[in-house]
Amino acid sequence: MLSRVADSLFWMSRYMERSDGILRMLKMNYASSQDDIHDFSWKPVLKIFTYLEDEACNKLAFQGRNVLQYVVTDRENPNSVFNLITLARENARSGQDHITKELWQCVNDFYHIIRDERLPRWLQEEDPVTILDDLIKQGMLFYGTADITMPRGEGSWFMNIGKYLERGIQSAGILDVKVSTIKNSNEKGADAAYWRYLLLSLAGYELYLKTYRGGLEARNVVEQVVLNNQFPRSIAYSISRLHIYFKRLKNEKNAHSLSQIDFLIGKLASKVQYSTPEAIIQQDLHLYLNDIIGQMNVIGTAMDEKVFSYL
Amino acid sequence: METSELLSNYNTDFNTWDEMFDQTSVRTQYRDVVDFLQQFSIATLNKKEEQAKRLFMSQGITFTVYSSGEGIEKIFPFDIIPRIITAPEWKFIEAGITQRLKALNLFLKDVYNEQFIIKDGVVPAELVYSSPHFLREMHGFPVPYDIYVHIAGIDLIRDSDGSMYILEDNLRTPSGVSYMLENREITKRLFPDLLPKNNVRTVTQYPSILHKNLVSLSPRQTANPTIVLLTPGIYNSAYFEHTTLARLMGVELVEGRDLVVDNHRVFMKTTTGLQQVDVIYRRVDDEFLDPLVFNQNSLLGVAGLMSAYRKGNVAIVNATGNGVADDKAIYTFVPAMIRYYLNEEPILKNVPTYQLGNLEEREYVFKNMNTMVIKRTNESGGYGMLMGHTATESEMEKYKEEIIKDPRQFIAQPTINLSSAPCYMNGKMQPRRIDLRPYALFGPDGIQIVPGGLTRVALREGSLVVNSSQGGGSKDTWVLAG
Repeated sequence: MLSRVADSLFWMSRYMERSDGILRMLKMNYASSQDDIHDFSWKPVLKIFTYLEDEACNKLAFQGRNVLQYVVTDRENPNSVFNLITLARENARSGQDHITKELWQCVNDFYHIIRDERLPRWLQEEDPVTILDDLIKQGMLFYGTADITMPRGEGSWFMNIGKYLERGIQSAGILDVKVSTIKNSNEKGADAAYWRYLLLSLAGYELYLKTYRGGLEARNVVEQVVLNNQFPRSIAYSISRLHIYFKRLKNEKNAHSLSQIDFLIGKLASKVQYSTPEAIIQQDLHLYLNDIIGQMNVIGTAMDEKVFSYL
Repeated sequence: METSELLSNYNTDFNTWDEMFDQTSVRTQYRDVVDFLQQFSIATLNKKEEQAKRLFMSQGITFTVYSSGEGIEKIFPFDIIPRIITAPEWKFIEAGITQRLKALNLFLKDVYNEQFIIKDGVVPAELVYSSPHFLREMHGFPVPYDIYVHIAGIDLIRDSDGSMYILEDNLRTPSGVSYMLENREITKRLFPDLLPKNNVRTVTQYPSILHKNLVSLSPRQTANPTIVLLTPGIYNSAYFEHTTLARLMGVELVEGRDLVVDNHRVFMKTTTGLQQVDVIYRRVDDEFLDPLVFNQNSLLGVAGLMSAYRKGNVAIVNATGNGVADDKAIYTFVPAMIRYYLNEEPILKNVPTYQLGNLEEREYVFKNMNTMVIKRTNESGGYGMLMGHTATESEMEKYKEEIIKDPRQFIAQPTINLSSAPCYMNGKMQPRRIDLRPYALFGPDGIQIVPGGLTRVALREGSLVVNSSQGGGSKDTWVLAG
């Protein structure tokens, strides 16, 4: 496969996963804002998922609808879902002869939906949950179509590597929003509600109820979202899938150049594998999550240098 | 046949050939389709038109127009009523194009080798050497199987008396074939069961014929040669066509930056290292193909490609330098070429053409400018044309000045009344002017023309310009089996 095409598929997949993460994060925070007895602050969301300066964050922090519009449809926000889907589509176009026609149409349809000029108004005036659910469904269609139509081989491996790398980063980010929120509030009851929305938006609430008894506790949520290998959005699961797909790339010709990335992924995998919820919380969850995000980014950069660089 | 609401107000021009209507009634080949369409209400037909647009949009059969920094997706307008060509008409067209293509290919071989046709005084040397697309780099270089024009898109029009004329020869990188394929798919979706009832010949074999021809050109004797389609990239307006063809043939779609030349061999950069390339179907113009030989600012090409080509290590499709044969000033001489090389009478006629480089002809044209179409010899896409019957006095004066600066770069033709065909517009059938571009494939086994083509249509009432860049659209093109 052409290096350029591999690069395009990797990024198409990353941008799709990132927009999925962002949409779920918005849904959870919006739901939570409807329960809050105080004014709900969107500042942590803006800090983590946009590039806005402090001052601009403070300005927007208490205008939920404007935040939704900024994060979903704003042309000026480089990390808006609008821009992510546009980038995903450009990458899909560039690798169009290596993805199935079905998958291309799926990305292309999403692109036309996110460009609908009525969308910003709906985000201001209609029920945001319905709108976010519709958009999330487009992402689910993408995953399903990719799974059912894409031939197993280099193309799908690169897509999976992109997907799980990005998912690890997104799950860490979503959890981190919460950590910042705890520091800003002392409301005990609101906490439990927030964890519930977090798990619901990650489709992990049922699993939580089946695993743990006795309500929502930070320790258990951290265990599930960071360490549970059976939970498909956990950091541990993402890293282990990343590692599996990465190993498939190896062959005699490239073993040498790939060994460094293999080392980076292995190191991160052991860090997560040999963590406990207690140790993470004690050491400071925020620092822990940021370290993981940092290491994931290093892996991404190494992919660029060792795998996609033309020659 | 009753005239229904759909057909009311179908007013064809008195001196225009209409493909459907022969002044008194609907021609036989259109009867089934007209009957079929009449069973639908206007609302249903409008819905079908809407459905066609949606299908194009959703499949990404679009091109991007950039305005104020944001890309906007556009579709080439598609008219839902097919254009129909009968079996005898097609037989004639097929024979005519095959003959013409054979002669043009021989001409290319000749001007880049012995130049008999110049020495025998049939084609003037000045015209050949003054063509900007004449490439000295091609001189004396034996291309595989002596084939220069692997893919030709020769444009045809029909005049008021019903006879076909050649409008121009596109022998460089003719585009639009994906619309021949996609328009047919859309018709299948819009009008289920209509195609089989009408005995329409299929066009789906195009990619496999092209692929077979490409494989046969491989300079390496290998069972599985590497074939690539070279595209200028995702921002090119024909990018959709490039991906469609690459996908349908199962070949790699590459950009210039994916290729590298080492020791006069072409390689592509893959995740597992360099892989040698045998055949390049390029959709990049000559000028941008190799910065070492042509435009040195080009980022679309590959440095060293021409040297690999001339060494015979890679085949390029179409050959470089073909522009000298589809130059509009050379066009006048194609009938003479056919007589010279094939000793046959041309089957398809040329439109009478005046060379403005020739003083007498120029004076004649200047006197009769309002009945002429004046074109630049090396422009395509309908750019830089003057339509005499609609131009104003001052436009004509300005154009005259342009011509006098470099008359060789212009030709003039009497305005041909392109034939009209029914289009569905605002709930009615209305006649609009059309042309036809069939796609001919020239491989070691000979010339094959897929029964069909691209019918371009001038959507504006009365307009004679069908180019997509000038407000033209397209139609599905049916060739009926005998």
